[in-house]
Amino acid sequence: MNAAVKLVPVQAAYDDLLQRSLSKISCDLARLIYLASTRDYNSGNYHHDGLAVRFRPDVAGKALEIAHRQVFYQLSAYSLEELVEQLRIYLDNSHESAADVLRIWQKLEPYRVAIPVEVNPAVARLFLSNVRLALAIWRFRQEQAPKNP
Amino acid sequence: MIGIPTALLLGTILLLLLLFVAARGSMDARESSSRSDVPLLDDEAVIDPCPPEFVARIFSPRDWEFVSETKSPQLEKLFRRERKLVALAWVHQTSLAVRRIMREHTQAARHSHDLQFATESKLVLLYAELMFLCGMLFLAIQSAGPERVRGLAVYAGTLSQRLAQAQHDLKAITAGREFHSAS
Repeated sequence: MNAAVKLVPVQAAYDDLLQRSLSKISCDLARLIYLASTRDYNSGNYHHDGLAVRFRPDVAGKALEIAHRQVFYQLSAYSLEELVEQLRIYLDNSHESAADVLRIWQKLEPYRVAIPVEVNPAVARLFLSNVRLALAIWRFRQEQAPKNP
Repeated sequence: MIGIPTALLLGTILLLLLLFVAARGSMDARESSSRSDVPLLDDEAVIDPCPPEFVARIFSPRDWEFVSETKSPQLEKLFRRERKLVALAWVHQTSLAVRRIMREHTQAARHSHDLQFATESKLVLLYAELMFLCGMLFLAIQSAGPERVRGLAVYAGTLSQRLAQAQHDLKAITAGREFHSAS
C-alpha cells in the first residue's frame, strides 16, 4: 500500500519529464545524453531543477533514473542501421561540426558515461560495441562521400 | 543392443566430456570477458539472465548484412571482432547467472523439509543442459561466429529464463509455506 502511494508522484514526475523535456529532444541518442548529464558524477544521483520544484528532489531523481534506464534499453534494442540513423540525427542537431563530434567520440568515448548504473552487463556491452560500430560506419561513409559525389 | 557396462562407460565418458566442454567454455569466456571494456562481473554479483530480445539482437544476422553492404573489409573485421566479444560476454554472464540461481536453490533446498524428487531432478537436468549449452556456444561462437548460432543462443536464453522463473516460483512457494506454518 505504502509503495503504491509512493509510486504515484514518481509516475507523475516521469510523465511531466516526458512531456516537457524529453519529447522536445530530437532522438533517443540525444535523450540518453541529456538524461545522463542530469546525473552527478560522484554520487550517481539525478537532479533536475524544474522537476524538483514541481515534485520533490528525490521523486524527480527517481523519475530521471527510470527514464534514463528506459531510453538506454530502447537504444540498445535498435539494430545497427537504426543506431547509425540515430547518430545522423544527433549530429545534424549538434551545434558542433559532425567531423569534430565524430573525432572526439571516437577518441574519448564519452558515451561510456551515458550508461545507467543498474543495467544488464551484456546489454551495456552490446550498447558500447554498437555505438563504436556506428561511429566507424559513419566515418567510413564520410570518407567515401567525396570519392562518390 | 549394448550391455549395461558398455552403456555405463559410454555415459560416463559423455558426462565427463560435457563437463569438460562446459568448464573450458566458461574459463575461456571469462578470459575473453576480462579483455572486454566493461568491468568483469564477479561470481558473487547478482546477475540476472539477459532479456530475450537482447539475446536475439546480439546474435541477429541483420547487423552483419548491414555491415557487409558497405563492402569494407575493415568494417567487416571490426564488426566480427566486436560482436564476438559481446556474444562471449553474454555466454559468460548466462553461465554465471545459472550458477548463481542453482547455488541459491541448493542453499534453500538444504533447509527445506518437503523436497520433491521430480522437481529437483528437472532443475538439475535443466542446469546441466544449460551449462553444456554455454560450453557449446562458446566453442561455436569462436569457430563459426555469433550470427550462425542464433537459434542455439536464443534457446539457451529461453532456458535460463525458465530456470530463473522456476527458482523464483519455488522461493515464493517456500516462503508461503513458512509463513503459514509460522502463523
